[in-house]
Amino acid sequence: MIRYILRRLLWVVFLLFAVSFITFVIFYLLPSADPAALRAGRQPNPALVASIRHQLGLDQPWYVQYGRYMKNLIFHFDFGFSYQNGVPVRQLIFSRLPASISLAAGAAFLWLVVGIGVGIIAAVRPRTKLDRASMGLALVGISAPVYWLGLVALYLFSSDIGLIPILPGANSYVPLSEDPFSWFTSLIMPWCVLAVSFAAFYSRLLRGNLTEVLNEDYIRTARAKGLSERRVVFRHGLRSAITPIVTIFGLDLGILLGGAILTETVFNIPGIGRLSYSSIVRSDLPVIQGTVLLGAFFIVFANLFVDIFYAFLDPRVRYE
Amino acid sequence: MKSIRVCSAALLALMLSLTVAACGSSSSSNTSTKVGAVPAEQSLTGKTGGNLTVVASSDVDYIDPGAAYYQFTFMVTTATQRALYSFGPDDAVNAVPDLATQAPDVSSDGKTVTVKIKSNVKFSPPVNRAATSADVKYAIERAFLPTVANGYAGAYFGDIIGVKEFQDGKATEISGIDTPNSTTIVFNLNRGTGGVVAGALALPISAPVPKEYAAKFDAKNPSTYGVNQVATGPYMIEADSKGALTGYEPGKKINLVRNPNWDRATDFRKAYLDTINIEEGNDDTTVASRQILSGNGQVNGDFGPPPPVLKQIVNTTPDQLALTPSGGLRYVSLNTTLAPFNNLNVRKAVLAVFDREAMRATRGGPLLGPIANHFIPPAMGGFDEAGGLTGTGVDFLKYPKGNLALAKEYMKKGGFPSGMYTGSQQLLMVGTSGGAAQKSSEVAAAQLEKLGFKPKLRLVTQDSMYTKFCNVPKAKVVICPNVGWLKDFADPQTILDPTFNGKNIVDVNNSNWPQLNVASVNSAMDSAEVVVGASARNKAWAAIDRQITAQAPAIPWIWDDTANIRSTNVAGVINKFNSNWDLSFTSLK
Repeated sequence: MIRYILRRLLWVVFLLFAVSFITFVIFYLLPSADPAALRAGRQPNPALVASIRHQLGLDQPWYVQYGRYMKNLIFHFDFGFSYQNGVPVRQLIFSRLPASISLAAGAAFLWLVVGIGVGIIAAVRPRTKLDRASMGLALVGISAPVYWLGLVALYLFSSDIGLIPILPGANSYVPLSEDPFSWFTSLIMPWCVLAVSFAAFYSRLLRGNLTEVLNEDYIRTARAKGLSERRVVFRHGLRSAITPIVTIFGLDLGILLGGAILTETVFNIPGIGRLSYSSIVRSDLPVIQGTVLLGAFFIVFANLFVDIFYAFLDPRVRYE
Repeated sequence: MKSIRVCSAALLALMLSLTVAACGSSSSSNTSTKVGAVPAEQSLTGKTGGNLTVVASSDVDYIDPGAAYYQFTFMVTTATQRALYSFGPDDAVNAVPDLATQAPDVSSDGKTVTVKIKSNVKFSPPVNRAATSADVKYAIERAFLPTVANGYAGAYFGDIIGVKEFQDGKATEISGIDTPNSTTIVFNLNRGTGGVVAGALALPISAPVPKEYAAKFDAKNPSTYGVNQVATGPYMIEADSKGALTGYEPGKKINLVRNPNWDRATDFRKAYLDTINIEEGNDDTTVASRQILSGNGQVNGDFGPPPPVLKQIVNTTPDQLALTPSGGLRYVSLNTTLAPFNNLNVRKAVLAVFDREAMRATRGGPLLGPIANHFIPPAMGGFDEAGGLTGTGVDFLKYPKGNLALAKEYMKKGGFPSGMYTGSQQLLMVGTSGGAAQKSSEVAAAQLEKLGFKPKLRLVTQDSMYTKFCNVPKAKVVICPNVGWLKDFADPQTILDPTFNGKNIVDVNNSNWPQLNVASVNSAMDSAEVVVGASARNKAWAAIDRQITAQAPAIPWIWDDTANIRSTNVAGVINKFNSNWDLSFTSLK
């Protein structure tokens, strides 16, 4: 197992290198804005633009810039400075990370509880009205784009502009460190909106898997042995049917920790997603690099954890 | 050197603003009868205390006052910094002494500008001492440092003697800025551009910066003084005891608190509010606008309400709306160096056919400002002299909805006998993707097609549009449909010189988008730059505006009004110079 983990960790390092390299190359090959010209403002003389280009090292070949960036990153954990605000990228990312983690973790909890719960209920009562209603609603949940759902939720329930003003809405995010209660209330709506499509997808997936598993021979055997239906479903059926859910959960959570751009935008949550978006719009390469690397880091590590977790979930899985 | 000493308040205003609008000459641009228009005189009384929330979409361009250049940033700097001169809420044209004690003394040859400053304006903690002329000198010097990268220092202060040596690293100070004592600063210039230098002293570049404190931050690349800045205004950005800002998180928030060292007796600002929180990142401006309108203690920051919301406000709660001329305009630029627009008659034909009302509709219609007929906008010196709202009299800008017959006449004169463009060449047109800008691009493309042109519209982000395409002559963009210019201060030079002077065509960050390079226009600008005296300057630049308009280098289509909104319990005061809420005068009811 340890050898497997070490091998995967080496892959993680390689992947992060590859991601950083590809991001760098894309930035240089595609027509994005010129950071030196942007920084120089509206009426600079050419000498000033050239001087800024030199100061930022943008007059060097791209591979020199990339080498310098990676050197600073590896030896000093230095992601560089934002071209736009002159603030260290590490500081920008760490100041945004708590909001993204808050959003992703809360929503993940919700969609797991709801998605798995609904999936189980639908699977154990197939073709009933409850099954059909829950799967129909799940389909609606999957089809509804998160930005649309977010806006509808705001116009319906937001405490400032909603028709039924019961929940804090846009521009109300409060960090956990400032006021835990306000943090919780400010995130209720974003959590629910973000969780809807995931919960819907998970419930449909689990229903399908569990229905199939519950028809397996070993389940029949378990029932024949006189085990309670609860034990059959949860101990024997669910443990097997939930494996694909764990796989996609790892990926989904990893992606969201790297930033939920749409949800963060609709609810004005100052997280990594919004930081990525604004840095792309402003061609702020150091910030783009930082956020992309962070996203990649979360995704590959979430995958690693999922793979390790498999061994505990399914006794047949062994890593040699 | 003979000096013109300006004593009275009226003349002070004239010297500073270099415009005749001080005498009310811009009356034709008065919008006071329009729904939501800001009255000529706003009530400046208010209740002390409370917190205001400024709802913003993006961050300031630079938190460093030495680099700040956008309206939204000026909204912050005017509350936290005291430049030599500043604008009161109701006068967009005439600046008043702020750190200065009186009007600038401009020599008759325009080569020397002398300013006396107050001795009792103190920096916020941790500096805690009175600002001196040396601090103003350093503020201007640091603007020329590449680590600070001010975008306008070269344009307005580039004629100060010794700037080049300083920029080249051959001198440690700018030799042309003298500080004979702690309350006097003298700018010595290579050319007689004292008039425009005096006007530019109302920009935040002239707010004092203590060298002994800031130099270590300016030595970093980029300078970190912005996130360690000290204030002289009534407010400061929340900071720790060492001066490091704690109230600024880029893209998230800017928290302003009272500056404990500010002395009300030295300032014209009222500073009613106790705290001001700028909440950034409200990308959905529809939601943000509704939030302001239905909420408490909120105003908009860097965005205006989208057209549907604006329409709703006008119909339901017009008292929550404040419309004011922005001092800017939007136009579609035609590259005068590339075929077919290197042909003057073809350009005139395009201007003649253009439906500018359709263009204006993409931004919200007549409420958002009059259709532009020339380039100096309302509420600027030279506007009336150049023809005011009716225009300079050229026939190809006479029809706001366009005139196809007239356009065809010009096409025939331009060598297209059928009156239609018969070339096969596709014309590269680069616009901004998304929102009203994209709609404007699409409408502009449709107008060009009326005469048989084949525009090839490419939509990119706004920054890419400027820095990779329209600002780069080598990119050979034929049409830039989403460009525009905003005044820096009320001198018409700030509108026309960067955008139509042939000598300002540069390889990178070129803002003369049509690349107009007409000898007679260039030489007229050279002469006008050194004219001293507001009336004479306005006349000179108005004549240049007429010359430029006759060259048809671009299609001016709107002189923008800025729409601002507030919650019902906010006694909002607009700063007409900045076309935005004046945080130093706004209060809660």
